[in-house]
Amino acid sequence: MNRALRVSIACATVAAGAALTLSLAAQQQGQVVGDAARGKPLFADTFNCYACHGFDAQSGERRLVPMNYTQEGFITFVQNSPLPNMPPFPDASPQQLADIYAYIRTITADAPALGDLPLLEDILERKTRAAAE
Amino acid sequence: MTKRVDSTSTGTVDRRKFLKGAAAGAAAGAGAIVSDPGSAQQSAPSSRPAVTRPTEAAGRADFVPPEPSVDARFIRHPGSDYMVDVLKTLDFDYVAVNPGSAFEGLHESIINHGGNRKPEILTVLHEEAGAAIAHGYAKAAGKPMMTLMHGTVGLLHASMGLFQAWCDRVPVFAIVGHPRNPTSVVNRPHSAQDMGSIVRDFMKMDDEPTNLDVFANIAMRAYTIGRTPPMGPTLLVVDSELQEEPIPDPSKLTIPKLSMPSIPQGDSAAVREAARLLVAAERPLIRTGKLARTSAGWDRIIELAELLQAPVDVGGYASWQDFPSWHALYGSGGPDYRPDVILGLELNDMTASVRGVRATGGKTISICSEYLSQGHNIHDFGNYSEVDVPIAADGEATLPSLIEEIRKQSTGNAARLRPARGERIAAAHKTIRENEIDAARYGWNSSPISVPRMVAELGRQIQNDDWAIVSGHQFTGQWQRRLLNHDKFYRYNGDCGGFGIGYDTPASVGGALAHREHGRLPIAIVGDGDFNFVGAGALWTAAHHKIPLLLIVHNNRAYHAEVMLVQRTAARRGRGNDMVDIGNVIRDPAPDYAKIAQGYGLYAEGPIQDPAALAPALERALARVRAGEPALLDVISQPR
Repeated sequence: MNRALRVSIACATVAAGAALTLSLAAQQQGQVVGDAARGKPLFADTFNCYACHGFDAQSGERRLVPMNYTQEGFITFVQNSPLPNMPPFPDASPQQLADIYAYIRTITADAPALGDLPLLEDILERKTRAAAE
Repeated sequence: MTKRVDSTSTGTVDRRKFLKGAAAGAAAGAGAIVSDPGSAQQSAPSSRPAVTRPTEAAGRADFVPPEPSVDARFIRHPGSDYMVDVLKTLDFDYVAVNPGSAFEGLHESIINHGGNRKPEILTVLHEEAGAAIAHGYAKAAGKPMMTLMHGTVGLLHASMGLFQAWCDRVPVFAIVGHPRNPTSVVNRPHSAQDMGSIVRDFMKMDDEPTNLDVFANIAMRAYTIGRTPPMGPTLLVVDSELQEEPIPDPSKLTIPKLSMPSIPQGDSAAVREAARLLVAAERPLIRTGKLARTSAGWDRIIELAELLQAPVDVGGYASWQDFPSWHALYGSGGPDYRPDVILGLELNDMTASVRGVRATGGKTISICSEYLSQGHNIHDFGNYSEVDVPIAADGEATLPSLIEEIRKQSTGNAARLRPARGERIAAAHKTIRENEIDAARYGWNSSPISVPRMVAELGRQIQNDDWAIVSGHQFTGQWQRRLLNHDKFYRYNGDCGGFGIGYDTPASVGGALAHREHGRLPIAIVGDGDFNFVGAGALWTAAHHKIPLLLIVHNNRAYHAEVMLVQRTAARRGRGNDMVDIGNVIRDPAPDYAKIAQGYGLYAEGPIQDPAALAPALERALARVRAGEPALLDVISQPR
């Protein structure tokens, strides 16, 4: 067995182990079923998510709509955020975060197409013109 | 002038009569009190005979304002008249005043001797507002405003505003009246052994003249030092008695001629070396701090950027505008642009730039007047940075020689590379601006109203006006620069300097005052938290002096940045997050800023929560502002 093959097998074994761990965690967390009605006050009042992300979860610093995380990924990230501008919430329970997640998923993106927003279209056109001058 | 002398002559007789009567009354009153100290002394413990305990009656008498003495006389040439004559040579248009007895002499001389013109009194309702108005005015007008304060208490109120001006490197010409020989318990606390020490940590200089000759000398010095980069506020402490005392012989007093020093420019050898590095650079980047004070400086920085085809990063909201926000070279060149030479212009901390380029063998140049700072207590001067070519000089003043040197050295391949570099930067700029407009769509119809919607709606209505944003950008992020074409040096007046709350509303009034004579349309977007400091009173100043200004309260009903900070701390300590809004929100009850503004005499609307209602409200308010009035809109907005 050459060295490259050995490394490949080792990497595959580690990857498989990590995937299994993640899968088990996901199964455990996947048992939590979020409730959007409970999530709304958790978003707005208990955890003050609105303070950065906006009351509508989309006009703040980091848009949460559309929500691209899985529920499991969302829970893991919020509990352990490594970002300087996003505090971790280790005390938030998986159930609470699943509720918030469910609430965010009910919010539709309020982002009309640029063609339907002549005001922004006009700004883009004028910006483009100014940059070309 | 003749009329003034005539009325004075008439007044002499009447005033003397009045003083005689008043003095007689005072003497009678004094007689009634005279016996009290003696009786108090009798009842004092015998072991402490040297200490006289004042009686209640004597204490009460101390609170009575001092009566004129029997020899009080009409003062034909008070010292404060001469002071006003000196100050008039310094080209002040306005003086912000919240009245105080420590400078009543100067106050009276400004009005009656000076005719309340140059400077004209601007009545302010708080000394901090006065200092902030002077701060905002100086940046927009390009020259300082004067502000007068009462001893200790007025100076302490003003201290926050002066601190912000210091951190922002902006001249404010401050005078504090000093009852050096206090006559009552009222003005004793307003006197101090060393008045200037109260604010010395953040003033370029302070001094207390002992006679009128010295006053003139110090006034000239304070003015010239304050306006020489790095600029800053200066303080004259002026004894109340010096203001009141008659000038013994006016013919012996002269007014010094103002002698402004030229602004320091970079050493020619260092500028030559800076030019060499920039010409040889493959990916130069220009970073600015507080650079373009004037129209000429604005033109020069554009010329430099276009000559080099180098992007210009104006930094965050704390910087002045310095460069057109919709220019293709605006920004840091895009995510793939890795600068090999960074030129810092009036950027007082080059640490990040040095760290960024050093790893790849890059070089840094800094042209900054901060090198000329003598050092102070406040840690606002930036980190020491290992810059390759540090130049102790004013950035704006050095630009012409730097540009000339770059032109001289731009031969051969160096200049030939530039057009292609410019095209790559322009392409990156295109992607960035499209992404920014795309992001502005989100939450477009939300209530509370999104910040980009608020700014875009405003932009639509002022695009044909000669507008100027006179508040900081601190609470609206980059949305103003993204959505409004900052194409003139006066479009943005910069932020507070010291990152303290309370600057925006009064400084906006000052900025608006400076723009009034140019017929510009001043706009301010201020946070509700900031407004609640000394902002409301500043609205009255705007209304009273008919200063046109549209003030939009970006009302998110909280100090939202702090919510996150407390959240982070609570998380670190494992204590949960359900209490962190305590102390951070401004609700229950929610203040009604439109009503507050109406109470101060402004046209005002709000709270406006529906985004569809914003444009018509802006239209109505702007009509008032264009007609010369201040107006306020209370807009319920998303947090950021």
